[in-house]
Amino acid sequence: MNTPSIFSEKIQRTITCIGAAVLVASVTLYLAFPVVALFFRTTPELFFTSLSNPDVISALFLSLFTSTVSLGVVILVGTPFAYVHCRNDYPGKVIVDTLIDLPLVLPPAVAGLALLVLWGRMGILGHYLSLFGISIAFTTLAVIMAQIFVASPFYLRQAKSLFEQLDPVYEQTARTLGASPLRIFALITLPLTANGLVSGAVMTFGRALGEFGATIMFAGNLPGVTQTMPLAVYVGMEGNFTVGLTISILLVIISFAIMIAVRLLACREAPHA
Amino acid sequence: MKRPLKNQIIIIGIVCGLLLLTTFFAGCMSSPATQPVTPAISTTAVPAPTALPTPQAVSTTKAPVVIATTSTPAPVYTYSEGNVVAFTAASLKGLTPKLATDFEKMYPGHHVVFNLDGTQALRTQVMNGAYADVFISASNAYTTELTNGGYFVDGTVKPLTSNYVIVILPANNPANIKSLADLAKPGIKIAMGDKSVPVGTATIAAIGNLAKSTYNQDWNTSVMKNIVTYETSEPGVATKVALGEVDAGFVYESTYTASPKGTYTAITIPKVDNYLQTYTIGVMKQSTSKSAASDFENFMLSTIGQQDLKDYGFRPV
Repeated sequence: MNTPSIFSEKIQRTITCIGAAVLVASVTLYLAFPVVALFFRTTPELFFTSLSNPDVISALFLSLFTSTVSLGVVILVGTPFAYVHCRNDYPGKVIVDTLIDLPLVLPPAVAGLALLVLWGRMGILGHYLSLFGISIAFTTLAVIMAQIFVASPFYLRQAKSLFEQLDPVYEQTARTLGASPLRIFALITLPLTANGLVSGAVMTFGRALGEFGATIMFAGNLPGVTQTMPLAVYVGMEGNFTVGLTISILLVIISFAIMIAVRLLACREAPHA
Repeated sequence: MKRPLKNQIIIIGIVCGLLLLTTFFAGCMSSPATQPVTPAISTTAVPAPTALPTPQAVSTTKAPVVIATTSTPAPVYTYSEGNVVAFTAASLKGLTPKLATDFEKMYPGHHVVFNLDGTQALRTQVMNGAYADVFISASNAYTTELTNGGYFVDGTVKPLTSNYVIVILPANNPANIKSLADLAKPGIKIAMGDKSVPVGTATIAAIGNLAKSTYNQDWNTSVMKNIVTYETSEPGVATKVALGEVDAGFVYESTYTASPKGTYTAITIPKVDNYLQTYTIGVMKQSTSKSAASDFENFMLSTIGQQDLKDYGFRPV
């Protein structure tokens, strides 16, 4: 039964098709054009020569190192935390839920300032640490801490929702068969949620890699120690434009490489009962 | 059965109407001279700037200082004659409210909006199309770069003021630094501007001069080893020192002079070794209110403007 309309069925469908195509094209182009423009602003020769710039190399390795460590910490600590948080009802659960989301809405510069005020040399906790000779601000550790702070919500929220949505039937069956909670977590829950956890990890890595505001506030900007790629882009953009462009292009390539690798890894089918 | 048909016609009518309205407003907004009042801009005294209506928007980075409009009904942010957009080196940050008030007193009806950032950032913004009426640069190198690029109106680039580099310490001097020689002590944390920032190049030059004249190259190397952060603007260095997170920082004298008593302790660098940073001011060729821009330049170079700068710790040129 056709709905009455001033347009015929065929024209209606064509209009819907065109509308959908325009929508998809505009979103794709809006996201792709700026990235493509980066590549067109420089020449391959300039790009490869500036790759040997020591600032570029140190920023690259520092970024990859710190982001990997941050991701590792978030996964190792965050996965059990999300599991315990989901499977148990404890007083204050709602507050913890809100706190997990906090770094998402907090401006990164505020996060950096907050970390500095707490862990810095004059900080509330920091000045106790400095009595023992431990200083955190302006070190690579500060970079990692800042990245963990801003990037952890991505993984924690994903892990939380995965564990919540997992059909409890599997875990309950395993329990009746005598498995301990730890064994259930490791051999039942994790394999079933692995795909989703991996995508959460990818987002976390990307966020950690791109962190700028908290890093420059808490860790400072020192080539080789705390100058990550985003900081190098910002400084390079104003001083040496070519270097800034090169690092931006590197970041784009790395991001694409990560996402492709994850797509390939996630192709493995999750085991079903 | 007639309902869906009627709804469809209504929807089409609304969409067409919206398109017509949009084209109408777009046509209105793209003629700045004839439209002194635009609907989206508030005309009362607001602390935060709103977006500029014309296509060439000013890209502001750090907080631009806005003066409260007086009882006049004309809004501040339109490109009519009398409004000046000044791209200003960040080291003039604390001084801009006074400058704005005095400028308005000298030229009633004129208003100024400041875009404060490191000169290197402002230079990049301008070279990528940002709109400015006046450019105050903290570095001759960047001024020359912009002049060679043809950004200034000929004959309007003039020296404005100058500044020396000074070392500031947190008020309680946690590292017990008594002289410039102490800066080389192992374990001292020093903050300075990045080499792309004018204060950064001035610092490197001053340290180099000191190494040649008084201390030796080892002192130079040790001091550079103690640098823990290269900030992207001069106020950034001052902030790190004020927070007590670093033991010392290289900033401009003006920052120390203008700070409230007791914020910092300072160690001066001898004039003979110091680097005198010269600030320049110029009117931009792209400016659409050149007479107001020239008025602002005249104000900055006048006795009142120069006195404001002097009160804040800048040195006359």
